[in-house]
Amino acid sequence: MGIRCGPVKSYGAAHRQPKKLANCNENVTFSRHAANTLMDSGSNLNTLMARYQAGDFAAVTALVECIGPQLHRFFMAQSASRSDADDLLQETWLRIHRVRHTYRPAEPVLPWIYAIARRVRIDHYRRASRTTAREHRLEEESDAAATLPREEARTDDLETLLAPLSESQREVIRMMKVAGMSLEEVARATSSSVGSVKQKVHRAYRHLRDRMNAMGPKKGSSGGLP
Amino acid sequence: MRDEEVDKVLQKASGVAPQVEPALLKRIADSINSSLRPVRPLPPTSVLTGGLALICAAVAVAAAARAGFYGIENLSLWERVLIFSTLGILVWMAGKEFVSQLIPGSRRHFSVGAFLTIGSAALLGVFALVFRDYRTDHFISAGIACLLTGLLLAIPAAFLSWLLLRRGFAVNSVAAGLVGGALAGLSGVTMLELHCANFQALHVLVWHTAVVPVSATAGALVGWVLRGLSAHT
Repeated sequence: MGIRCGPVKSYGAAHRQPKKLANCNENVTFSRHAANTLMDSGSNLNTLMARYQAGDFAAVTALVECIGPQLHRFFMAQSASRSDADDLLQETWLRIHRVRHTYRPAEPVLPWIYAIARRVRIDHYRRASRTTAREHRLEEESDAAATLPREEARTDDLETLLAPLSESQREVIRMMKVAGMSLEEVARATSSSVGSVKQKVHRAYRHLRDRMNAMGPKKGSSGGLP
Repeated sequence: MRDEEVDKVLQKASGVAPQVEPALLKRIADSINSSLRPVRPLPPTSVLTGGLALICAAVAVAAAARAGFYGIENLSLWERVLIFSTLGILVWMAGKEFVSQLIPGSRRHFSVGAFLTIGSAALLGVFALVFRDYRTDHFISAGIACLLTGLLLAIPAAFLSWLLLRRGFAVNSVAAGLVGGALAGLSGVTMLELHCANFQALHVLVWHTAVVPVSATAGALVGWVLRGLSAHT
């Protein structure tokens, strides 16, 4: 049984369909009982965050369990290694913990968390780019990635599908499809306007549509683009 | 292929996720638990924005009271209303944007660059409408004195604003510095309009207005330095 933790909206039907709920990572088992108790009692992420601010450990556990896998996937999509993604996830939660008072109970949680996660990722990139051995390490990483089995290097079907898009378009689609954020929430998380996000999504969809059409309907509908 | 079909493909693909170690999540939760204690959330945006506006007004009025209200005394009623209502609106907008910059995931109505451009253009428009004396006596010397006065006044305004918002967290420190600098600069311009009795159009248009972009640039530089320092650590 999965934990229900966030809305997933489709771009095409975002303005017509009611919110659906997405399942968190099925394989997470730790403190499931505590998390389920919180979720089943009708709590949502906002309530959990408010309880976290009040010092409730069960709420912290549920939040980490619920959002952690999404964030990990967010980092995995852009880092060369799992250990980098693990480090970034830990750093993000430490930063969330440090600035948890900046969350307002009435505001949506996901844009707040993803804005911090983006900052952590950017800081990490900047730190990495400042090291003199960057080129050397990149070579090593790309060699290491090349030697990994294909499933390990790119286990994520979504990333394979999004590979031809620009980084900003991928980021927006990831937030909408993986985290289930709305256009408004993505705009908040990326510090941009809703119009700008709409434009990126529109272009990304057009690109994907053209690509799928070019490949034929069978391949496109299976979701298995090369 | 339609958008709905692309949706379906993306939805299907997003279902297959790489797994995360449960031990890692447990370690994170445990590390948070070790320092978990209740915190007080930040006050609403309107309260913080009001506080910032109050700081800017207080700094400008206090400085003008010390230097003399020669400027406002020589303005007609409609000129006072036009100039200070414009400054008030810009201070409120800058304050609101500054608060947004210091709270992750806040709603953005306009970019910081757009605000700076529109704000400077609004000030230029109002000054061009009010001041019609086109002489340029002591243009450089009087102008630099006003610019420096405005910038010097922006320093305490920026410091007090930072004190008020020190519990915030800037996601983009350069943008936060830019808008914070612009806000402090507006405090400097308000003081100049209260104090400066030099009503030559070019003097006001160039040197008074320049306080805002120069102060904003200085704020952005501070933000950039802070970002560099945090990237090193």
